[in-house]
Amino acid sequence: MPILGEFALWIALPISIWGLVLAFLGGRRGRGDLVLSGERSVYAVFFLVALASLGIIVAFLGDHFEYWYVANYSNRELDTFFKISGLWAGQRGSLVFWALFLSFFSALTVFQNRRKNREFMPYVVGVLLSVSAFFLIICLFISNPFERLAFVPADGRGLNPQLQNYWMTIHPPTLYAGFTAFTVPFAFAMAALLNGRLDSRWIEVTRRWILVSWFFLANGIVFGMRWAYEELGWGGYWFWDPVENASLLPWLAATAFLHSIMIQENRGMLKVWNMSLVILTFVLTIFATFLTRSGLIESVHTFAQNTTIAFVFLGFMGFLIVVSGALVIWRLPRLKSENQFESFVSRESAFLLNNLILLGALFAVMWGTLFPLITEGLTGSKVAVGPPFFNQVNVPIGLVLLALMGIGPVIAWRRASSRNLKRNFVRPLAVGGVVVGVLLLWGMRQPMAILTFGLSAFVMAVIVIEFWKGTAARARIEGEGAAAAFLHLVARNRRRWGGYIVHAGVVLIFTGFAGSEFDAEVRASLVPGESITIASPLGHDYTLTYEGISSARVQNMQQWIALMSIDRNGRDIGTITTERRQYITTQQPVTEVGIRSTPVEDLYVILAAVDDMAGVVANDPGSQRATFQVLVNPLVAWIWYGAFILSLGTIIALWPARRGAGAVVPGAAQEAGRKEPDPADPQPVGAG
Amino acid sequence: MIIVGAICVAAAVVLYVLQPVLTGEEASLHREHDEPTEAEARKRNALLALRDVEYDHATGKLDEDDYRSLRDELTVEALEALQSMSADAARAGSAGESDGAAGAGGAGTAPVASDAVLEREIAAFRAALRVQEAGGGACPACDKPNGPASRFCAHCGVALATSEPDGPRADGAGSPGA
Repeated sequence: MPILGEFALWIALPISIWGLVLAFLGGRRGRGDLVLSGERSVYAVFFLVALASLGIIVAFLGDHFEYWYVANYSNRELDTFFKISGLWAGQRGSLVFWALFLSFFSALTVFQNRRKNREFMPYVVGVLLSVSAFFLIICLFISNPFERLAFVPADGRGLNPQLQNYWMTIHPPTLYAGFTAFTVPFAFAMAALLNGRLDSRWIEVTRRWILVSWFFLANGIVFGMRWAYEELGWGGYWFWDPVENASLLPWLAATAFLHSIMIQENRGMLKVWNMSLVILTFVLTIFATFLTRSGLIESVHTFAQNTTIAFVFLGFMGFLIVVSGALVIWRLPRLKSENQFESFVSRESAFLLNNLILLGALFAVMWGTLFPLITEGLTGSKVAVGPPFFNQVNVPIGLVLLALMGIGPVIAWRRASSRNLKRNFVRPLAVGGVVVGVLLLWGMRQPMAILTFGLSAFVMAVIVIEFWKGTAARARIEGEGAAAAFLHLVARNRRRWGGYIVHAGVVLIFTGFAGSEFDAEVRASLVPGESITIASPLGHDYTLTYEGISSARVQNMQQWIALMSIDRNGRDIGTITTERRQYITTQQPVTEVGIRSTPVEDLYVILAAVDDMAGVVANDPGSQRATFQVLVNPLVAWIWYGAFILSLGTIIALWPARRGAGAVVPGAAQEAGRKEPDPADPQPVGAG
Repeated sequence: MIIVGAICVAAAVVLYVLQPVLTGEEASLHREHDEPTEAEARKRNALLALRDVEYDHATGKLDEDDYRSLRDELTVEALEALQSMSADAARAGSAGESDGAAGAGGAGTAPVASDAVLEREIAAFRAALRVQEAGGGACPACDKPNGPASRFCAHCGVALATSEPDGPRADGAGSPGA
């Protein structure tokens, strides 16, 4: 099977090149046979890449250590589950995995559009296969997972212990899905530039793809945070690591794009801006892959340094920017806005401001991420930029974005009068003000946290009032009960209300971030029977008593497991365990933290050091001294709750409307069988 | 055995991809009849923007003056889009006639039919909006919203028509919040 997989990968490249040439040629000359051949190439490439991926998985499951990739990322004792995830554990396999996602989404796009949007499809197919061909070239000529060793080792080197975590098995696939799904909107945008249909049709067609990509990117980032929190064992979830940043950049651009396309759909404006954003977002997805795989910037996530890949990726990004930029310039005369901004106080202005701020955050993060490379290029020595820089720049930007989430929905499109603004803002502002007042009276003195909590309350109040107004109106008009009216309200315009739910999720996430202002930490070296006390910022104390430590050999690792009993203000609330692991093959120590999570705070215990590890293994009672680091992290759980709500909102916004439920205006269009816009559905994407 | 399997897979894939070129089987490259044209998309966007204005007005985000002027502007936009659609239809009629696909009277009747369609669409849409607004009809005299069951205007006392167009109620989208 691995041989068949390797063979399939070699066939996939010429098929993709054949398909892309024929698709472009067919589109240019109006030849349906060439385009059909191109479309079939998309299906064929998906089939072949799936076969190649299966070949890699079989190689892992069968311990085929004759392959360099398997020998370096697996061993005989590795759990089956992690052997399967070996497909994306290392650089070589992950590039095939990337190509698999891309070819799957490409095939899905061709299938979805087999009887519609035909004027776009030749160029869409051409672009999709071009990107596939690029990744296949890398997989075959630069980073081949089927490369054989000159000899067959008896066992492999094993998987990096930090990757042997369930969050790590779903974090990369989710991110890859987000990155690759964005190729579809990019392909349609390029097709619109090539075929000259430059109205908002390409946006309507790809609206769901944009949301799908955004959904996967958001969840991929959150899964990565969760992995960092549970596995890296430093007490936090985000370190502004270059690869973390690399995943954030396309998400920021995609978020800006999600909002700005609403202006194009509603007002026929910002066409050049939207084209630029879709190009920027797509290039950033490639940039994220480049950053992770070039190894040019040091990170816990990067694969080994590979300058060949770095140059190939840089070349591809340059090609993308030059070609797509040239297409935009070529079509500039036809990308003029159909309308002008009528007032600074309007929803489109708020969206534009939101876009500018998101791009400000994007460039700040990119500058901080690339700064070490830039300084190395200029001075010869790397100057790292740490979390203080990123926090200093991005916290204020985040707060302005938070405020805009509350302002946008309350302002009308086109223009809003100050009288209406005052009336609509009074109650949400009052709620925010009350929260700030209560926090000040309670003794809170951290300005950024107070501001975040106040703004969060303001935005939540706006969302609740919007839901309340909509539900009340529907209940009054339709004579429904509150619950039914609420459900029908959301069902009738999933995009608008789904978007508001996404905003609510983001508010919770921001609140969780603000909780980090109150993190508490103590560290102590203890022998069994001794205790350590930490004061929670919520006013109570935790006392943890070290009960003892045990050691065990499990599969391919040695474990040291410390047990601590916890009491809160003198009341016993249970026990917690925290571990250190030593993987036999890699000799790499790993910390497994103990986390006791509640909705308001996490008790986070790290077994920082065991003084006499051999003594513990020998069960010597006198060698059980260990060092513990104990943290209380308030509101961390809100980040995970917020991510769940954000996902729920996105799914609601994504959920398709019932077929035929959209008839509004009786007339010729309906007579001809066309589907008219649903009046309950005025917002194209996200929240209005 | 594996080599034979690989060759079979390769042959099947190549044949599948080449078949359209060899047999002349074609994929469509043209817009399907049920897909919107650019003019139809513009009309759709104008109608959606009108809905937003209605919603913003109903939820107190727009002043009465702004609401009226915006509604008029958007109605003009929708009309312009409808006129473009009529022009497209006329062009399509002419093309059909020259191709011999349309009957002899096709090109001559298209503009008249388009005008009728245009007026009917705008009238139906405005009526639908009036009903949608606060769930009831706008007063024809003062243009203020009234409840769904109102027989007289709550603002100026003029008698209101109680009949409703089929569109909005049929799809249950009467709520301004919806």
